[in-house]
Amino acid sequence: MIIDANVQPHFRYNAEIRKYLPAAHRLRSIPDVEQQWYQAPGGNYREDLYGEHYPGSDRDTVARHLFDDGGVDYAVLNPLTRGNIADYLLNSRICAAVNDWLLDRWLEPDTTNRFRGTIRVNPEDPKGAVAEIERLAAHPKLVQVGVPMQSREPYGKPMFEPIWEAAAAHRLPVAVHINGGNGVDYPPTFAGHAHTYPGYAAFMPLNYFVHLATLIIEGVFGRHPDLKFVFADGGYDILTPLMWRLDTFWLSMRDQTPWVDRYPSDYLPAHVRFCSSAFDGPTDPGQMQRWMEFSGKADLLMYGSGYPHWSASSPADAADGLDSSQRDNVLWRNASELYGLVAQVEGTTV
Amino acid sequence: MTTIERVEPQTEIAVAIVDTDVHPMPVSTDVLKSYAPADWVDKIWPTGNAVTPLPHFYDTPDSYKTMSMRVDAAPPGGGFAGTDPDYAAKQLLVDAGVSIATLEPMCDAQLPQAEHVLKSTYNDWLADVWLDKHNAHGRWRGSISVSAQAPEQAAREVERWAGHPHMAQVLMTPQTRGIPFGNPHFDPLYEAASRNELPVATHLMGQTPFELIPLYPVGNPAHWHDFFASWPLLYVSHLMSLVFDGAFDRHPDLRVVFVEGGFTWAMPVMSRMDRIWEARRADLPHVRRRPSEYVREHVRFTTQPLEDADVKPFREYLEMMDLGDNLMFSTDYPHWSYDSPAYAINRFPAAQRERIMRGNATALYGLPSTVKALPGEGPAVSVSFE
Amino acid sequence: MLERRFVCSLDELPPGAMKLVDVGKFGVGVYNVDGSLHAIVNYCSHEGAPLCLGLIGGTNEPAPDEPGGIRRVRDGQIVRCPWHNWEFDVTTGQNLADPKRRVRTYRVDVADGQVYLNA
Repeated sequence: MIIDANVQPHFRYNAEIRKYLPAAHRLRSIPDVEQQWYQAPGGNYREDLYGEHYPGSDRDTVARHLFDDGGVDYAVLNPLTRGNIADYLLNSRICAAVNDWLLDRWLEPDTTNRFRGTIRVNPEDPKGAVAEIERLAAHPKLVQVGVPMQSREPYGKPMFEPIWEAAAAHRLPVAVHINGGNGVDYPPTFAGHAHTYPGYAAFMPLNYFVHLATLIIEGVFGRHPDLKFVFADGGYDILTPLMWRLDTFWLSMRDQTPWVDRYPSDYLPAHVRFCSSAFDGPTDPGQMQRWMEFSGKADLLMYGSGYPHWSASSPADAADGLDSSQRDNVLWRNASELYGLVAQVEGTTV
Repeated sequence: MTTIERVEPQTEIAVAIVDTDVHPMPVSTDVLKSYAPADWVDKIWPTGNAVTPLPHFYDTPDSYKTMSMRVDAAPPGGGFAGTDPDYAAKQLLVDAGVSIATLEPMCDAQLPQAEHVLKSTYNDWLADVWLDKHNAHGRWRGSISVSAQAPEQAAREVERWAGHPHMAQVLMTPQTRGIPFGNPHFDPLYEAASRNELPVATHLMGQTPFELIPLYPVGNPAHWHDFFASWPLLYVSHLMSLVFDGAFDRHPDLRVVFVEGGFTWAMPVMSRMDRIWEARRADLPHVRRRPSEYVREHVRFTTQPLEDADVKPFREYLEMMDLGDNLMFSTDYPHWSYDSPAYAINRFPAAQRERIMRGNATALYGLPSTVKALPGEGPAVSVSFE
Repeated sequence: MLERRFVCSLDELPPGAMKLVDVGKFGVGVYNVDGSLHAIVNYCSHEGAPLCLGLIGGTNEPAPDEPGGIRRVRDGQIVRCPWHNWEFDVTTGQNLADPKRRVRTYRVDVADGQVYLNA
């Protein structure tokens, strides 16, 4: 079995989202489908996918590429929204519209039963986010909650906790993914704006670590044993060095945050997962197996293509250099456990 | 206890350990002010307080009582830890076995001109007190502090000190108010440093002027713990800029030292940059070489604070990383997060130890192979790198 | 080989005080914690710092129902390493965060107002 835990479906055209917005918001100005905070020169998506339809916007095409050509059994769809726009109430309506569109155009009509989806919510509107989770959590094809990487506060901070509590209560992991659109956000690196696209693309996924560190140190994982976060842009190549630091300083800092009652890295197996990325991992495949053992990454990593992104990777790419047990974990086992996905038997339906 | 033979003052001993991060402080604000231009004294120290701002946006452990210093480093004659060069020599050079140490004052000021004047003042003070009056043993090296906001003046400050026998490097804050290190803004400084064969080191500076706290891209943690664990990402940002913005191509002789920001992150950062460079060569026409090659040639990392992971996987990781030519031991004396040389030596793979504890810093800074022994030291005290 | 060594008279070691005894490679610190006497090795299990030169105080425990979420406890019992501030309970030698990082303890006894260390 192969599970692809990170696919971004797109609207066919800009106006399409308005069909799913309530009347009061239908005539509001919102960023375009194509709008990206940092554009990749030449386009954000695989060159061969620009054509008759917007990349990733046609269900049959995506299904053919992933399931038929790629050999994937399940794909978790995590659509982008339009950025942390200033009007957080409008942003929440955009999230709801994206969720309704996902159900309407991708999940409900999917007779292959291979697509799963994400409940996108806006963390800047905690009440609205909780309401959206409650509205959709019961749907059997929605397997996680989705929030942007971009944020003006890290996700361990208290204003967000009701959202994570609601997700955990419904046994839904929370996937963090770099969002599209145009938001009111800080510069993407610690040293300011990047002046090249590679300078942005190489760094941006690493910001997950501040979300992760705060979720541990503020005690969020400690208070919510069932809460799981998925960092869907990768960045796990820097996990070991930074968790080693977090572990080392715990013995010095424990008395300021004494609710952290174990080594920070002890929280990883029960609370943290990653989607694979084309940028992570040693460039020498001979090091891959040993490297995967550091920080127990073999139990944390799930294959995620990133389709239709220009950096989209195949299952073979993600499995390169792994031993057979690591390969099974990454290609399906970890995702199967997280999302409750089992191998389908021919001829049966849900 | 092993007894140490008394030695004649002029006896030379082999350089065994180079410490690339030590923090001297003026004994009082008045002493520091005496090195400043008269018309700047009231502008930089309007209330006459704080010699140098200590980190205060975040509380280090027990910092109210310890002031973020080793509790056992306060000079017996009185005063703050790190203010007495001779007591520092006793604790660090004699007791801890360090042969040569690079001094890095921590200071910063809000406005560009004030920043430049303050750093120049520190340079005059450091050269006089630590590199001259209290350096008969010749084992202190200094840093030329320069302004990140005024790179032309920084370049002139580099020229002012370039011939000094004990100034080993340039020192600049990494908290550059949103301008990453690879930006052409720094070119005048890099040009002067490179031409004078002086590495440019960077080290966390004080956190008193507001804008020196980098606003983390997804917001700031509440505690020093997660703040400082994430801190290397500032160096990662600067390193990626140095490579991708072409600074190493514009300055082929530039050497950059990342101090007190860890180093184990260098392995994944090198591979990330290599992968993305391979995939996006067309976006980077000015970057002529594989990114990891730039790191190996141009960049050094100091080792403190060492991670306290199990030693076997830690050494394995360092072997995989294969940066034995790029790491330089440091203690961070007299700060609380001090790493002792005896602890550090055993953390490294045997084959890398000599280079990390001595060889790489010796090569980078052009250090001698012997130094004058201090009272209480003897050639009998040897360091094994096996 | 443990030896019973004279440290000082009890009134030279009032509650809250510590006496450093030159024994073994690193020395041993004898503490009076509220009238009861304890001793730990003067060597931190992290990097070998002179543990007994650290400040003595208490620590914090979580108190979710109180404002600020923490409360101060165990005053006088906890020594913080003078370097990285690791917390050790001088009465047990335990590191408060990780029990596996404990330091060695020694027995102290008092006879005729004199303090003796068994080390």
